[in-house]
Amino acid sequence: MFKKFFIPRMIQYFTVLFIGITLVFVIPRLLPSDPVSTQLHRMTSQGQYLDPAAVEEMRETLQELYGLKGGMLQQYFSYWKRLFTGDLGPSFTQFPTPVIALIRMSLPWTLGLLLASLSLSWMIGTVLGGIKVSFPNSPFSKATELLAMGIRPIPYYIMALVLLILFAFLFPVFPMAGGYSVGSKVGFNARFIKDLLRHSFLPILSMVVLEIGGWFLQMRNVASNLVEEDYVVYAEASGLPKSKIVFSYIMRNAIVPQITGFGLNLGFVFGGALITEMVFSYPGMGTLLYSAIIAGDYNLIMGINIFSIVGVSTAMLIIDLLYPLLDPRVRYQ
Amino acid sequence: MSILRVENLKAHYVTRKHRKVTRVLAVDGVSFQINKNEIYGIAGESGCGKSTLLKAVSGLIKPPLEVVEGQVQYQFDDRDLDLLTLRGEQERREIRGVRISHIPQGSMSVLNPVRRIRKSFEDIIGAHLGIKDKREFEDMVRKHIEALGLDWNVMHSFPHQLSGGMRQRITIALATILRPDVIFADEPTTALDVVVQRGVVQLIKTIKKEQQNTLVIVTHDLAIHANLCDRLAIMYAGKIVEEADAEALFADPKHPYTEMLLDSLPIVGDRTTRESAPGAPPSLVHPPSGCRFHPRCPQAMERCKLEAPNLIEVEIGHRVACFLQEGIVDENVQEFDAR
Ligand SMILES: Nc1ncnc2c1ncn2[C@@H]1O[C@H](COP(=O)(O)OP(=O)(O)OP(=O)(O)O)[C@@H](O)[C@H]1O
Ligand code: SF4
Ligand SMILES: [Mg+2]
Repeated sequence: MFKKFFIPRMIQYFTVLFIGITLVFVIPRLLPSDPVSTQLHRMTSQGQYLDPAAVEEMRETLQELYGLKGGMLQQYFSYWKRLFTGDLGPSFTQFPTPVIALIRMSLPWTLGLLLASLSLSWMIGTVLGGIKVSFPNSPFSKATELLAMGIRPIPYYIMALVLLILFAFLFPVFPMAGGYSVGSKVGFNARFIKDLLRHSFLPILSMVVLEIGGWFLQMRNVASNLVEEDYVVYAEASGLPKSKIVFSYIMRNAIVPQITGFGLNLGFVFGGALITEMVFSYPGMGTLLYSAIIAGDYNLIMGINIFSIVGVSTAMLIIDLLYPLLDPRVRYQ
Repeated sequence: MSILRVENLKAHYVTRKHRKVTRVLAVDGVSFQINKNEIYGIAGESGCGKSTLLKAVSGLIKPPLEVVEGQVQYQFDDRDLDLLTLRGEQERREIRGVRISHIPQGSMSVLNPVRRIRKSFEDIIGAHLGIKDKREFEDMVRKHIEALGLDWNVMHSFPHQLSGGMRQRITIALATILRPDVIFADEPTTALDVVVQRGVVQLIKTIKKEQQNTLVIVTHDLAIHANLCDRLAIMYAGKIVEEADAEALFADPKHPYTEMLLDSLPIVGDRTTRESAPGAPPSLVHPPSGCRFHPRCPQAMERCKLEAPNLIEVEIGHRVACFLQEGIVDENVQEFDAR
């Protein structure tokens, strides 16, 4: 029974990973530009004189380094071999720093930022949505609904810029940019953590404020449909107390799609928050990806993509595996 | 002895959109009495207001449903109760499930999908009696369940793990665990196959016999009514058009609509295909003038378009709303009346 549930899902997971990672390999190779020529061009255009023999030699070295040597198939196999040893190749622009080192540097920043804002907005939105459905006509619910509807359509960058101008420029309570103060020592101590929180406050706030609305509305919509369900009507008809109906009948069922949504978003954390990180000059994956795209740093782009693919599909696998615990209608079989 | 008296009840669905008010006259002037310990059936085609009537008389009134007029009076053994004057959630809660039990339509899905059956029993008993002792609770439920011929093991299942018939039985068991005085069952056998239907009907009879309660059952399946009910009301477009002892009604239907309904029933051994009642059900937003049945009535007269007939007693215990019958009564009355 368990096997029947578990194995197909694992097969599906690895198939998705395989296809995704293969696409990451194939797509850059379909592009007309060739990173080796680009790199050589960059060097020669900087005014260096190189004689053709040296250029040719350099071309070979670069091809070797970038993993571009040999036929497609050969490249593909060595690509997988390198992946399994955790080697994503060197970054072209920050040669010879390995891509994995760059990612390792940026990832914690992004994780901290996104995990915090995702969890906060999810919790607040879900609770507010639940309150709305339980007491639909209370002034508090009406006010939150109005706010949620009003704030949601605001484009993200405007929200971020407004917060930045308000709280970093006009009333400089929070720093303008960066992940921590220049010159402060990175370490696990109260002072640094305080500095870290101060720097992450505005970026997190900007995302939380906008995302609460989405979670709130989803919770409200799902739950207000549930109110019409036969089993809720029946619970009312058999005189169960309101609190019981709200928690065990409405919220308990509405939380299932809510948790699924949370899980899916967890997967996207690895891709970074491009706009947030740019507006607040935050040193995360978004910033890294942006600079990689601008500079045409293929290895780096590929590396970040691989992280995203693994992140999203692993999150989906975990939801899938946990789903029967949330909804008994889906069983382990 | 009546246990429920409904007088001129009007229950409408009122929706407002851009200041335009739409009013569905789902129950529009209904009066009847239900006697203690009887099984009272309500029949009529889809959309005629059967479910709405049950909701209104069992106090499940929330927007868009509004009771605009009328009275719903219960006479329980120990107290009288005016349902529509109950104020506040608390007062209504005390009645529900204990005095009045309502099994809603679509009872295939009345059990919470994420709760085990046992939990549903805990919920209802906990809400009304409180559960002080786990043993006591289990004994109570076990006794009830086993008296109904159900296996205790179903208590540990989730609703989706049970067959439709089993779910329906559990729902009925749940609705009767607190021995309510009146049970309203809305289409309890629809969506079940015939063999299972028979089992469910048998179960209802068993409970009724054991608990001595009053049962009001809605279904458009006249065969179930014939099998189960003492008295029967036929609804058409938000009104009761005929009411009588079940036997009398099947033997001698007096309203043209009832005749039409009975004509549409298949008869065993008869191979000619039966027509279903011709014509479409009327709109309840703008119901036909006069007698609401007149556009479909083969015997409609000029008068029927202008005036609405009242539901009057034409024989003892047999009430009909049709001008054809009024004439007969008038003659009878004239014969008796020597004025
Ligand atoms: N929530 C609602 N809002 C507006 N109109 C409604 C609502 N529920 C029911 N109605 C309308 O009220 C009328 C009576 O509905 P009701 O459910 O009482 O019919 P019914 O006799 O039980 O039909 P069925 O046999 O299909 O269950 C129908 O015309 C229906 O469209
Ligand atoms: S009152 Fe007229 S229209 Fe209505 S059922 Fe009787 S004969 Fe037909
Ligand atoms: Mg109905």
